[in-house]
Amino acid sequence: MAEIALRNVCKQFDSEHYGVKDFTLDIHDKEFVIFVGPSGCGKSTTLRLIAGLEDITDGELWIDGELGNYLEPKEREMSMVFQNYALYPNMTVYGNIAYSLKIRKVPKEEIDKRVRKVAQILEIESLLDRKPAALSGGQKQRVAIGAAIIRQPKAFLMDEPLSNLDAKLRAQMRVELQKLHKQLDTTIIYVTHDQTEAMTLGTKIVVMKDGLIQQVDTPQNIYNHPVNKFVAGFVGAPSMNFIECEVEKEFDKTVLIFVTTGPVKKIYITGPNAAILQRDYIGKRVMIGIRPEDIYEYEEARSSGFAENSVGIRETVVTREMLGAEVILYFDEQYKTHAVRLEPSNQTKVGENIDLYFDPNKIHVFDIETEENILHLYRKGY
Amino acid sequence: MKREKNFKITPYFYLVPSLLIFAVFLFYPFIKTVYLSLFMTNKMGQAKIFVGLQNYIDLLSSESFRNSLKVTLIFVVIVVFGGMLLGLIAAVLCNKAFPGIRGFSTAYALPMAIASSSAAMIFQIMLHPAVGIVNKLLGLDINWLNDPNTALYCVAILTAWLNSGINFLYFSAGLGNIDETIYERASVDGASSVQQFFSLTLPGLSPIMFYTVVVNIIQAFQSFGQIKILTEGGPNESTNVIVYSIYRDAFFNYRFGSASAQSVILFIIIMLVTLVMFRIEKKGVNY
Repeated sequence: MAEIALRNVCKQFDSEHYGVKDFTLDIHDKEFVIFVGPSGCGKSTTLRLIAGLEDITDGELWIDGELGNYLEPKEREMSMVFQNYALYPNMTVYGNIAYSLKIRKVPKEEIDKRVRKVAQILEIESLLDRKPAALSGGQKQRVAIGAAIIRQPKAFLMDEPLSNLDAKLRAQMRVELQKLHKQLDTTIIYVTHDQTEAMTLGTKIVVMKDGLIQQVDTPQNIYNHPVNKFVAGFVGAPSMNFIECEVEKEFDKTVLIFVTTGPVKKIYITGPNAAILQRDYIGKRVMIGIRPEDIYEYEEARSSGFAENSVGIRETVVTREMLGAEVILYFDEQYKTHAVRLEPSNQTKVGENIDLYFDPNKIHVFDIETEENILHLYRKGY
Repeated sequence: MKREKNFKITPYFYLVPSLLIFAVFLFYPFIKTVYLSLFMTNKMGQAKIFVGLQNYIDLLSSESFRNSLKVTLIFVVIVVFGGMLLGLIAAVLCNKAFPGIRGFSTAYALPMAIASSSAAMIFQIMLHPAVGIVNKLLGLDINWLNDPNTALYCVAILTAWLNSGINFLYFSAGLGNIDETIYERASVDGASSVQQFFSLTLPGLSPIMFYTVVVNIIQAFQSFGQIKILTEGGPNESTNVIVYSIYRDAFFNYRFGSASAQSVILFIIIMLVTLVMFRIEKKGVNY
């Protein structure tokens, strides 16, 4: 059982530099919380603050209703998996896994029983007598996890545990971590810079940038309702396309016109976005964001029912990636490359033109100045 | 396939300079020492009468030489343990970042840069029975260097301190090689700093520890300058370590045969100790 609460937690390195700023978050029991963000965003620092490896300079950390700021790491009853695994090189795998119990003076038979059980769960029984130097990356990673799960800590802290593995192994371990979370039935706080890991593993995602929390939500909500341009661009692969547009009124319709020379490219927009745009943004510029899978060809757009009310946007394909189950076409707009995810049956070649239809209900609109989602701004009461 | 067997002379030419230096300063003196140890010599150190192993027999039955062996043993044990302990403690203390760390590091490494004879001179004053700071601070009245009960310990502790500088350097390098994150993991795992020291730091130092022990033992056996200056083997032969005994036999008593024999015995002792250490290393050093 662990309820961890962070209240305005700060980590200040010197008078000007913050590692983490004003971090407020409630972590409930049995949650799989992911801290995600680009390198240097303070996610690892936050984890280390929770572990007690760094001092909190301001704010409060509550662990099960107890103020945790000044607790020693060992008093916090957490266990941690490090990015480089941090295995004790002079001990065997068995010794590594057993260490935390040994220093707690758990009886030998009990230790043995639990080590063997953990080894069985992680399928490393045959490695118990080896030294870490004789293990592969994936094996080391399992040992590090084994050493963490042998105790029943209040929470597992994992600092990019998969980043040193190759892509295939990483995918495999992702699945296993999910299984493990179910099996262990405890809180996991997990740090990663990989948005795929964040999306697949987490029950709650904390997106961070420059030491500040950007958004806290479920993976689905983060993906579908990003609060700002940063979150929108960070989550999803290929990432969201951003195009600068001017908002205009055409009779009663709200229309977004690409800021570009040459033929006019415009999108008629409907839904809540349209209302806000009409109210506050007519004649102004905004940044729109659309995910590659929300752009269609005419046929698909028609069957989805929005082709009638839109005008196709003609673009030239610059790159084509055939991925088997889908094809990704790239086109240039406003000196940036954008991606479209289409059915693999699409035969458009590089250099050819294609008419694209943007799903008006899936378009995100961001304020140019604040880069915040205008829907989010509206909900906040602006 | 047939192995090429044409002998090439060129590579050996490249070895000539270093071989020459070794030959003049190491091989020749060594062989000459062994040779001399089998003879009675005149005052000029020339071999005159072949006596076989008589020099060795005389030595081993001599009370003075057995005392020398005992004194050397005590001296080496104190110097090796003391010097390594001092170096290790200093290195562990300096392994953290805090303001003024450079000053401390320099201070701990300094003994390495001090000539043993000048250190000895300083100690001589510090240990002086009338004006020495040691007696003043402790409020005692002990003639440290002239008391057979304390002289050996004084010289040994001075030597340990002198050796601690280089040990500090070795251990600092060794500590630098230990991955910092294993300590973080250990503290999250719940290990106290004492537990961390014994289960992580010491094993982590084991590769460098072996090297340090060997170097320290050899160095300790060969200590000379400070003994020459502080006690000259006295009082009452209580600090008459083998190296000093060799010096005295050769250059005071002009018994080069006996001195050579002692040299050979010292050589054998050091070689045996080193061999034993290498044996232990194969078993004991981790990873």
